[in-house]
Amino acid sequence: MITQMLFSRHEKKTVWAVFLILLAAALVPLANLLIPEGSAFHVPGYLVPLLGKYLCYALLALALDLVWGYCGILSLGHGAFFALGGYAMGMYLMRQIGDRGVYANPLLPDFMVFLNWQELPWYWYGFNHFAFAALMVVLVPGLLAFVFGWFAFRSRVTGVYLSIITQAMTYALLLAFFRNEMGFGGNNGLTDFKEILGFNVQAGGTRAALFAATAIALALALVLSSAIVRSKYGKVLVGVRDAESRTRFLGYRVENMKLFIFTVSAMMAGVAGALYVPQVGIINPGEFAPANSIEVVIWTAVGGRGTLIGPIIGAILVNFGKSIFTAAFPEFWLFALGALFVATTLFLPKGVVGTVQQFIARRKEQKKADAVEQAYQDKAAAKAESQLATLEPQAAE
Amino acid sequence: MKIKSHVMSAFLAGALATTAFSSVYAAEDTIKVGILHSLSGTMAISETTLKDAMLMLIEDQNKKGGLLGKKLEAVVVDPASDWPLFAEKARELISVDKVSAVFGCWTSSSRKSVLPVFEELNSLLFYPVQYEGEESSRNIFYTGAAPNQQAIPAVDYLMNTEGVERFVLEGTDYVYPRTTNKILEAYLIAKGIPKEDILINYTPFGFSDWQTEVAKIKEFGSAGKKTAVVSTINGDANVPFYKELGNKGIKATDIPVVAFSVGEEELAGLDTKPLVGHLAAWNYFQSVDAPANAEFIKEWHAFTKNDKRVTNDPMEAAYIGFKAWVSAVEAAGTTDTDAVLDTIIGTTVPNLSGGYATVMPNHHITKPVLIGEIQADGQFEIVQQTPAVVGDEWSDYLPDSKDLISDWRKPMSCGNFNVATGKCGGKGS
Amino acid sequence: MRGVKPTEQEELMYRAIQTFLVALCLLVSCLATGLRAQEDIRPLVDALGATSFPQKIEAVKALAASGNPKVADILQNLTDGKLYAPKTGGAVYLEGAADGAYLDALTGAPANEVPGNLAKIRLNNGLRGAIGAALSQLTLLSPDRAARLTASQDLLKDANPDNLALLNSALAQEKDAEVKATMEAARAVILLKTDASAEDKKAAIDMIAARGNRDALTILTAAMDNAPDDLKPAIEKNIASIKTSLAAWDVAQNIWYGLSLGSVLLLAAIGLAITFGVMGIINMAHGEMVMLGAYTTYVVQQTVASVAPGMTDYSLAFAVPAAFLFTGLVGVGIERSVIRWLYGRPLETLLATWGISLILQQAIRTIFGPTNRQVDNPSWMSGAFEVGGLAITYNRMWIIVFSLGVFVALLLLLKRSKFGLQMRAVTQNRRMASSMGIRTPWVDALTFGLGSGIAGMAGVALSQIDNVSPNLGQNYIIDSFMVVVFGGVGNLWGTLVGALTLGIANKFLEPYAGAVLGKILILIFIILFIQRRPRGLFALKGRAVEQ
Repeated sequence: MITQMLFSRHEKKTVWAVFLILLAAALVPLANLLIPEGSAFHVPGYLVPLLGKYLCYALLALALDLVWGYCGILSLGHGAFFALGGYAMGMYLMRQIGDRGVYANPLLPDFMVFLNWQELPWYWYGFNHFAFAALMVVLVPGLLAFVFGWFAFRSRVTGVYLSIITQAMTYALLLAFFRNEMGFGGNNGLTDFKEILGFNVQAGGTRAALFAATAIALALALVLSSAIVRSKYGKVLVGVRDAESRTRFLGYRVENMKLFIFTVSAMMAGVAGALYVPQVGIINPGEFAPANSIEVVIWTAVGGRGTLIGPIIGAILVNFGKSIFTAAFPEFWLFALGALFVATTLFLPKGVVGTVQQFIARRKEQKKADAVEQAYQDKAAAKAESQLATLEPQAAE
Repeated sequence: MKIKSHVMSAFLAGALATTAFSSVYAAEDTIKVGILHSLSGTMAISETTLKDAMLMLIEDQNKKGGLLGKKLEAVVVDPASDWPLFAEKARELISVDKVSAVFGCWTSSSRKSVLPVFEELNSLLFYPVQYEGEESSRNIFYTGAAPNQQAIPAVDYLMNTEGVERFVLEGTDYVYPRTTNKILEAYLIAKGIPKEDILINYTPFGFSDWQTEVAKIKEFGSAGKKTAVVSTINGDANVPFYKELGNKGIKATDIPVVAFSVGEEELAGLDTKPLVGHLAAWNYFQSVDAPANAEFIKEWHAFTKNDKRVTNDPMEAAYIGFKAWVSAVEAAGTTDTDAVLDTIIGTTVPNLSGGYATVMPNHHITKPVLIGEIQADGQFEIVQQTPAVVGDEWSDYLPDSKDLISDWRKPMSCGNFNVATGKCGGKGS
Repeated sequence: MRGVKPTEQEELMYRAIQTFLVALCLLVSCLATGLRAQEDIRPLVDALGATSFPQKIEAVKALAASGNPKVADILQNLTDGKLYAPKTGGAVYLEGAADGAYLDALTGAPANEVPGNLAKIRLNNGLRGAIGAALSQLTLLSPDRAARLTASQDLLKDANPDNLALLNSALAQEKDAEVKATMEAARAVILLKTDASAEDKKAAIDMIAARGNRDALTILTAAMDNAPDDLKPAIEKNIASIKTSLAAWDVAQNIWYGLSLGSVLLLAAIGLAITFGVMGIINMAHGEMVMLGAYTTYVVQQTVASVAPGMTDYSLAFAVPAAFLFTGLVGVGIERSVIRWLYGRPLETLLATWGISLILQQAIRTIFGPTNRQVDNPSWMSGAFEVGGLAITYNRMWIIVFSLGVFVALLLLLKRSKFGLQMRAVTQNRRMASSMGIRTPWVDALTFGLGSGIAGMAGVALSQIDNVSPNLGQNYIIDSFMVVVFGGVGNLWGTLVGALTLGIANKFLEPYAGAVLGKILILIFIILFIQRRPRGLFALKGRAVEQ
């Protein structure tokens, strides 16, 4: 019944995408764990966390697309929410190390020990519980987005001004997390994790489970996004995107609508970050770098903003390309990447998915037009024939 | 730390007795070597040179007939100064390309990022850059300097030769300067320097407006005691720092600056005339007067087709790491990680300053410490050279690490053995 | 001179006698020695070839004490790295004209038997200091004013009581006010170190305190330690008053630092104020234009150095127009090939220009290599001078002048020229402008070229204070956007005020909060400020704002 509801309430494409992602969530781990090495269907161990990473990025891009593609808020600071979620998870994983660190200090992480910290800072308390950490993964980015959005949207900061202050936000956080006094490990960040929920993070099974979790999270996020977008609220959001003042004059509280979607999006980004950290094994301030946030924008644009599947495809496509090119053409891959961005904007302004959609739509229209034309011609031909038929007897006369 | 030095010296004695063993396999395939240095992004400025140096060393080894009768093949990837990407690329090198060893990383963050990967997949990483210590992994060899092979001798030089009584510890705000300065502060206080004569200051990465900081240094230096700056300023921030120093007229005879991250490569972007006499501490300088070095520089110029390209300390560290690995593989007769791990400890190879470097059981190597003064031509004049010093991974000047040692030989095989409690795993107090 | 203070006359006479005696000594040593005396110092010269630095320092001191006229030349040769000795220590030789030819260090005659293992005699800072002190003794009576000034400054730094007699004699015949003042200060410092009378010391303290700068503070603080108790209050009072005046100067100094940082921000941002502020292109390649300008400076400098080595000091004069034209052309090229398709889609310009910036960075990395390139400061941009308690470095001063010059020129161009008029017309109402016969595509291309060209000129200035590396632009792009947005998009005055405000605020925060926290606070300030004034400091008013 639930499936039926899903089918009825969502676009067909979205349902297919959710289905594919869930299929991947099941197949990739199975292909990794059960199919023997050497078989053509075996997914090698190194590929699992890599694919997991792509999916985390896809989730992040989807989160950005919600605010940018559907509400017109170009956030150049979404990397910050992603990183905050990552740090929350990283802190949990750090606490899980316990006394297995190199100094065997049961309370303090290694980086605090050798910098002579005497006690655990207050904000580290609670992170030894997974539930608390999981809560923080969504709460911290959500709260930051709420406070930031509360001020920004109420003062009607829009357009590039908003983009630039979101960039300022992530840049300030980058500098702050670089500081060793902050107690987040400075530029080395948090690393050398051992266990998550009692399972070894390096074990193949854990990796596969993490991949499955990421895929499921992405599928859920897609369903949630789709529900938001297709609701009445979602329609108004698009109105805000296309004509903010008009929407406001129609009586909608634009700032509240923006605040809601911005906060939800930040939480999704936080979840993406939290899933990312155990799979790549490190979280450090580099994730706050403004360039990273810009890259997320680019994935979204490449895939096609304003569509739900676009950002997912864009993130996977660009990062897959990056993985291939950094190994295949280490000296020249930046040329290829740069050219890709330029070419996308010039030739695929709606992104891959947008362009394909457009193409399909055109084809459909064409078909329709063709059909109409055909019908018209058929009709005309028939008419002519009948006319001819009516004429013939006369001629025969 | 008596036990430690005892173990080490006993070891040094037997170290020279490495046997060269080479067998000829009539095999078509190659031995793959991974090179994991950023070729783009912020660290490309430093790391690209090391990639070139590695390619040169591999080419050179192939000219000599390769290794175990096979040719070496370099696999170059670009982790793009992105630390998680380092881990991903390391995994790819080991799992997909099946490399026998990886040479790479520059920043500690990148090393920390790949460390779990190398331990999980049981491969070898040779890390060629000076770092803050406080680490010893079974799968990593640290061929750059530990703090005791660079920072402490430099401060000794300042106190003994220059008569410095007041110190500014100026660094970029990240883990290497933080740890080094912690160690130095403890060391200076132990040497009787009062706390108020030590000023510690940090600036962000890529800091470019040094006016206030340099004025602060000048002010601190005007208290009537001979003052020096110990600089752990990183990469990009150095050029504007030295330009400001030069323009403010702070001469080496007034307030000398001794730097741990400034080598020939960094000076290549600077007019060094106003900086003559400022110092740097390394384990190698291009100006080292030794036949091995002359040969190396000649090859480097030929390889890069540019006789102005400078050599620097991390290049020497990469050279030593590569030679040690080659020699260990020859001794083991295989590139298998466990076999190489057994044979490499104690391997002694010539370094470029006319001496020898031995791989110690703590996976660090022996290095002489050289203090050099900047010259007008961008080179260093060596004003002091110590005998080879053993790299101390766990600093004696940090309370929590002073009881730790590491020894990767069997049966101990431990990276953080606590000599006070006699247990592996860092279990102290 | 001890105990009883001599009258002025006595003092003068004493000085005269002393001068006479010193002169006599020198004369006698010159006359009576000749060749033989030259040989007398040979062991001393050869001692310079010792293997340890303390031995070399002793040798330098002994040479200086010998009073031999050749000593100054020998020490100068030592400083210039022209002296050689065997690695194991021994006789010292002078570098000859030809490679591998050596001369006698003392006579300058070609040396006969030269040992094979000669190496340049190494200097370290201690030795350099000793040579400086020795040379200053020898040049204190030099007829050359500059030499005397340096010598007296060295004596002031060194403050060795042994030099008191020499200093007194030099003071007696010194006419130049500045040199005399320095010598008197040196004498005062030395007096504080000797067991001179309390009155003399008092006078000396006042003398030093009157200089009122940081050096005086250093001297007085050092003097506190071994001062007699009755003098301590006087010294303390002087220290306190110097500190008060220095604190006042510190404020001025901070404003100067802030202006200087602000001028750098202004330079970096002003091109962006055109491409982003006026044209609405989110130009992520702006930083790379700055970088291209810096690399143009490098290329121009290399060319000038090889074509006309005499002109190297003025290579910047060629670099400024070259950078403007080159980056301007690159800008026009980018506009014509990419950006012109994207008008009306500002956010997509972000994507395309980000791609362009990656390509440009990697292109420079491929052509010039990833390492820094050396761009020298011309001599007129090196060093510093003091105005009261302000230390002003020439390079910073010229950059402030340059950035204000660029700003004024740009303002004039926009407000007074036909092109400026057309440009404003096109950006305000494209269709109307087009209807009036303005070739809008042409104006667009030139406007983007102008913004890029100005970024290139900023690169010339930044090459003087920062790295010339492929990453140069990345370090300024975020700051530039902050400045333009803070000042108000589309308003040049906003950019000016924004840059200077952020610069000064940053420099006032830095001493208290530290460089890192200071920068974070500035960013938070910008975020909060934009909440208060969502369109920046100088907001454009009217309908055009709502697009």
